[in-house]
Amino acid sequence: MKQISTLDYLKMNGWNKFLYNLKCFFCAIPGHLLNLLKKIGRFFKKFGLAVWANLKDLWLTFKNGRWQTKLSFLIMGFGSIWYGQPLRGVLFLLFEIVFVLYMGMAGAHWLSKFDNLGDSAGYKVDTEWGETWVNGDDSFKILMYGLLTIIFIIALVYTWRLQIKQCRINEEIMASGKKVKSTKDDLKSLLDNQYHKTLLALPLTGIAVFTVFPIIFMILVAFTNYDASHDGRGVLFTWQGLQNFGEIINFSSGDSVVSMAFGEILVWTLIWAFFATFTNYFLGMFVAMMINKKGIQFKKGFRTILVMTIAIPQFISLLYISNMFSETGFVSKVLQDLGILSENLHLFDDKANPHLTRAWIIIVNIWIGIPYLMLIATGILMNIPADLYESAKIDGASGVQQFGKITLPYMLFVTGPYLLTSFTGNLNNFNVIYLLTGGTPTNSSLSGASGSVGYTDILITWLFKITQGTDSKYYLASVVGIMIFIVVSVISLIVYNVMPSNRNEGDFS
Amino acid sequence: MTDTKKYLIEIETPDGVLVTSEQHELANTKYSADIELPEGYAVSEDGAVEQPVERTETEEPLAENKRNHLGLKVSRTITNTIIHIVLIVMSIIWLFPFVCIVFESFRVESTGQVNYIFPKQWGLDNYINLFTNTNFPRWFLNTFVLGLAVAVIQTIIVLAMSYVLSRIRFNGRKGLMNIMLVLGMFPGFLTLILLYKLLSGWGLTASGGLFGLMLVYTASSGMGYYVSKGYFDTIPKSLDEAARVDGATRAQVMFKVILPMAKPIVIYTVLMGFMAPWGDFVLAKYISHYDEAGMNVAVGLQNLIATNANKSANYTTFCAGGVVVAIPITILFMCLQKYYVEGVTGGAVKG
Amino acid sequence: MKNTKKIVALVVALVMVLAVSVTLFVACDNSNTLIWVSESDGVAELTLKQIEEFNKTWDGEFKIKAKIQGVSEADSATQVLTDVESAPDIFCFAQDQTARLQQAAALSAPGSAAQAKIEAENDASAVTAVKVGGKVVCYPLTSDNGYFMFYDKRVIDESHLADLAALVADCEAAGANFCMETSTSAWYVASWFFATGCVSDWTTDKDGKFTAVNDTFNSDAGVIAMRGMQQLVKSSIHVSSSDADEFNKGAAIVVTGTWSIDAAVKALGAENVGYAELPSFTVDGQTYHLGSYSGNKLMGVKPQTDSAKAQAMHALAQYLTSKECQLERFEKFGWGPSNLAAQEDESVKNDAALTALAAQNEYAIPQGQIHGSWWDIAKVLGQDAYEVDLNNVDGLKERLEIYKGKIDDLFKMSEEELRAWTIIGKIAGTNWDVDFEMIESSTNTWISKDALEISEEDEFKLRQGKSWDVNLGGGVNASQNGANMTLADFGLSAGTYKIQVVLTVDGSGTITGGTVSLIAA
Repeated sequence: MKQISTLDYLKMNGWNKFLYNLKCFFCAIPGHLLNLLKKIGRFFKKFGLAVWANLKDLWLTFKNGRWQTKLSFLIMGFGSIWYGQPLRGVLFLLFEIVFVLYMGMAGAHWLSKFDNLGDSAGYKVDTEWGETWVNGDDSFKILMYGLLTIIFIIALVYTWRLQIKQCRINEEIMASGKKVKSTKDDLKSLLDNQYHKTLLALPLTGIAVFTVFPIIFMILVAFTNYDASHDGRGVLFTWQGLQNFGEIINFSSGDSVVSMAFGEILVWTLIWAFFATFTNYFLGMFVAMMINKKGIQFKKGFRTILVMTIAIPQFISLLYISNMFSETGFVSKVLQDLGILSENLHLFDDKANPHLTRAWIIIVNIWIGIPYLMLIATGILMNIPADLYESAKIDGASGVQQFGKITLPYMLFVTGPYLLTSFTGNLNNFNVIYLLTGGTPTNSSLSGASGSVGYTDILITWLFKITQGTDSKYYLASVVGIMIFIVVSVISLIVYNVMPSNRNEGDFS
Repeated sequence: MTDTKKYLIEIETPDGVLVTSEQHELANTKYSADIELPEGYAVSEDGAVEQPVERTETEEPLAENKRNHLGLKVSRTITNTIIHIVLIVMSIIWLFPFVCIVFESFRVESTGQVNYIFPKQWGLDNYINLFTNTNFPRWFLNTFVLGLAVAVIQTIIVLAMSYVLSRIRFNGRKGLMNIMLVLGMFPGFLTLILLYKLLSGWGLTASGGLFGLMLVYTASSGMGYYVSKGYFDTIPKSLDEAARVDGATRAQVMFKVILPMAKPIVIYTVLMGFMAPWGDFVLAKYISHYDEAGMNVAVGLQNLIATNANKSANYTTFCAGGVVVAIPITILFMCLQKYYVEGVTGGAVKG
Repeated sequence: MKNTKKIVALVVALVMVLAVSVTLFVACDNSNTLIWVSESDGVAELTLKQIEEFNKTWDGEFKIKAKIQGVSEADSATQVLTDVESAPDIFCFAQDQTARLQQAAALSAPGSAAQAKIEAENDASAVTAVKVGGKVVCYPLTSDNGYFMFYDKRVIDESHLADLAALVADCEAAGANFCMETSTSAWYVASWFFATGCVSDWTTDKDGKFTAVNDTFNSDAGVIAMRGMQQLVKSSIHVSSSDADEFNKGAAIVVTGTWSIDAAVKALGAENVGYAELPSFTVDGQTYHLGSYSGNKLMGVKPQTDSAKAQAMHALAQYLTSKECQLERFEKFGWGPSNLAAQEDESVKNDAALTALAAQNEYAIPQGQIHGSWWDIAKVLGQDAYEVDLNNVDGLKERLEIYKGKIDDLFKMSEEELRAWTIIGKIAGTNWDVDFEMIESSTNTWISKDALEISEEDEFKLRQGKSWDVNLGGGVNASQNGANMTLADFGLSAGTYKIQVVLTVDGSGTITGGTVSLIAA
């Protein structure tokens, strides 16, 4: 679509400007998606080239290296010790010894069973007093330890490559006559130019073991049939390929309840995240402006009262609010006494109007979210220089105009990234939905899908329900989890890329 | 080209004076020249920011030809009164659930759920029941120890992470940040079952649940670096460079120059770390597996009202437990509120 | 700065001390058995006492040092299933989970002598509850998990107790609630259908896997049941809840079970609580007495790898579910025993609540094993009764059809199973009642998974999808609906063989015949 000149843009009135911006936004999306795909393509190309370069380098190192380097291909760390870096060498050697021991004792065993996740499960044996148990293969353990072994192998390859590279570098250094980095140098640099490695070692290890490893594991589970009836101990589970994904996407066959459930819940999740984020945002800003206004007393008092609600653990306050609004709870009684309602208040049971419950949960979320937003808005509002407002007043701008032209653009500009993280956070906001309604009222049309699906269920609470209960389907939960991840990341990437470029920056100042 | 202007963050001190946050903390911070200071502030020769002239809140009399924000010729006082009323109503609404919980915790005549608020009979029965009949002291102790441990360890990890990402430009920094952004989008519940089996293999569930929980909370805490990193970003890099020119190693720069300045964010991180275990019930329930040694307050209280029969017998005890849990946290929060606000406004916004 | 450092150092030291002390405290635990019992007050103490008695009785042969944790029976099965390996050695659970537990190999069946004892000494519903696939797999603990009616004597006229419509009218007049779960739990919905004679019987194999269901809810009797339900749900004073707390919020009638006795007494005062069997409802002039599920709490033993421990655990479980222990629990907590001798005890017979339960049990159906998904599917019927207009019989029929469809879906075979070929016949000791699996070794070639012992008199055929729609018989060149095949057709003598078929498929993909061969194994 054609770009119009800045002058023409400024000449348009507000409504046309809005339409133009909107058109720009939507027209830009395909471009951004294409960019994204191109970036992914370039990433893979870079990766392939890097692998190729490494292989070439390995070959050259072997061909041209001294005998110490060649020996390092077999005994890790030998070259480093010989060239005068005993600490590094010993560490490499230790790593190799540990690896060999592990593979010999356990690793080979787990890997051999990895392809079909176990041959024979455990079983019960009848005896005089009762049945006893004989242990067999446990698919879960095989998957878990097999994955660990694979990761260990990758780590070994990487370290092996690293020490070969170091041998080559050391050769070059010695050839040019300079001194090789000694152990003392190494230790010193850990506090200086390699300080980032020292600092990052512990956090990254923790993240690798407790976040990355579980995520890879759960992605793998999505390709198996691990569920309540195939728990790996009594009944083995095995690889299923892409069958599970077909179950979700397949809208036509008889198993379509799951895909229907996914579609409906996805729509509500998006609606919920949108409203939850923006109502809190604007109302929080509004409240902050009210408190910040000149002439209001007890500013600190009001702020403290509102901020206090952040401190109380959610499971107490939300549970209580949910009880307050139950069918025979306090609010129901008061409304009946006042004559507004003729019978009990139905919010969570099956006589409820699901749209009312949905609206109610968005309103209660305002109660939860405003204090936090108010804090942020206050901090930013205080930053806007007062002279902007004064010059606007002198020019004769009304209060609304000041808000629209100064406050709002400034806030949106500064908190743009925060809005995005808030939106994605609400997409995965488990606590609020689970504690307030537990997903009720139940959606009976989806009652064949795993987990008792409700009208206020968002994707993540549905996921939680799938993994609970006695008919839990972990593989389905993994597939849904992967879908959630794809949805969230696509939205984030689109919005993040579109955001700054959509504005005419001249407008801002 | 965008013209990014940097502003100092203004916070109102208890005596109503508007000062800059950093200035409130220390006196000899140096700022680079491209910072535009709001009215009333000046930069002295050696680069320090001078305290502004006393700016107290005064009521400006409304001149007759001045219009207020709504453009109506209504006197400012009436608008302010309306706003005051709105704020008071809001405060009541916000405090209402807590007041109700406190009332319910003193109710004696029935222990289940009722549909009125004011107890007919007041008494301390529920609190006595809480401390003698349930294992509440154990849960409280567990959670308290957990909170301390997590606070300490998490602070170390988060600060290390955010400092590095903010100050040191190393190879793969952007890649690392992107990867962690992407990892954060995975729903965490899927990993519960694996974490449970992993920990139970190491004996860290059920009776070892406390360690298990501590491990899980702290190990991945590095991913929550955004706020701290944002805060560190606001500290000018020129300080780093000046120190390095003087011959300090990176480690010394961090400990001797930057961290002392970052007291607000350190306290913010400690506070967040301490508060984390009090509310978490999903993970704690899984890992404690009904063993008292691993249960935290949330799981314990939740179990009290899990089934209908339990609810009838224990609802008021649950409320009492809620009050006992909420009070120390709220007091702690109020004392450290200043730091929390600084952390949020400084870090969350920029980050 | 120095002060901060000091404070930090102090805090860290404090944390370390606390952590170490907590660990030491935990490590001083030297129990060798983990037991889960109900978390109600006093149950754990009583169980510990009973275990001590047990140790004394066995005089040193079994030295059981138990660690007892209180876990609600509704939740314990789920918790056991998440990790069977580290599950408690003995646990108490509600019976609806028995089949699931058996499926997950989490229950160790008692020896045959013990099984016979259980069947002889306990009442009918308990015996049904502990059996999966005809075999006893756990021990019965109580027989009071059914439901009946609690009412407020001050509001309800006791002459109306047998008539649902009269009770509803009473409640409406007094503005009090009639609480019976309809749309939140299928457990109570079933009582309307049992009243009109509908059944929902599920069969499992010995591994606890559900193989078939006989469900007659979708029938004229089912429609009458729905119409009866409408008489209650359409009233404004109906609340779908079984929580005795409702008596605090203005209820006059709550349909619930013995677990609510304490709460009801607390809410209304012991002299105002009445217990009665469920009422009857009238549709088209006919009266039907509401049925119910009679249920039990059970005690399960985890399968052990060590046979000595297994013996000890089973002995303990037997002791804990014996007549004496059950009577002790009745005296302390009011739990109705499942042991027949215990039920004859005077104190049990005189208990008002248990009497009402016994009266209701005449109309009760033992719960048995029920498919886990049925609960979600059936509770929708309660909501349907509310949504469909009165007198719209067709609307009710529609809803029942949908219900039946969902039940059928549970047994639907997957695509794979529909495609797969099996061998069936009078072969290898079976008599046309077992399908032997075949695997597809290459396209359109199927071979039996395991070798089969075939004797000269045996006959067999091959069929697809476990149905007779597509089947092959007749000999080496088999054809659709051909005759039963015998060894003579292949010129072979008795022995162990694998059966293989190469299917002949025409252009449009239809199977027209096949070449059958027997491969000696």
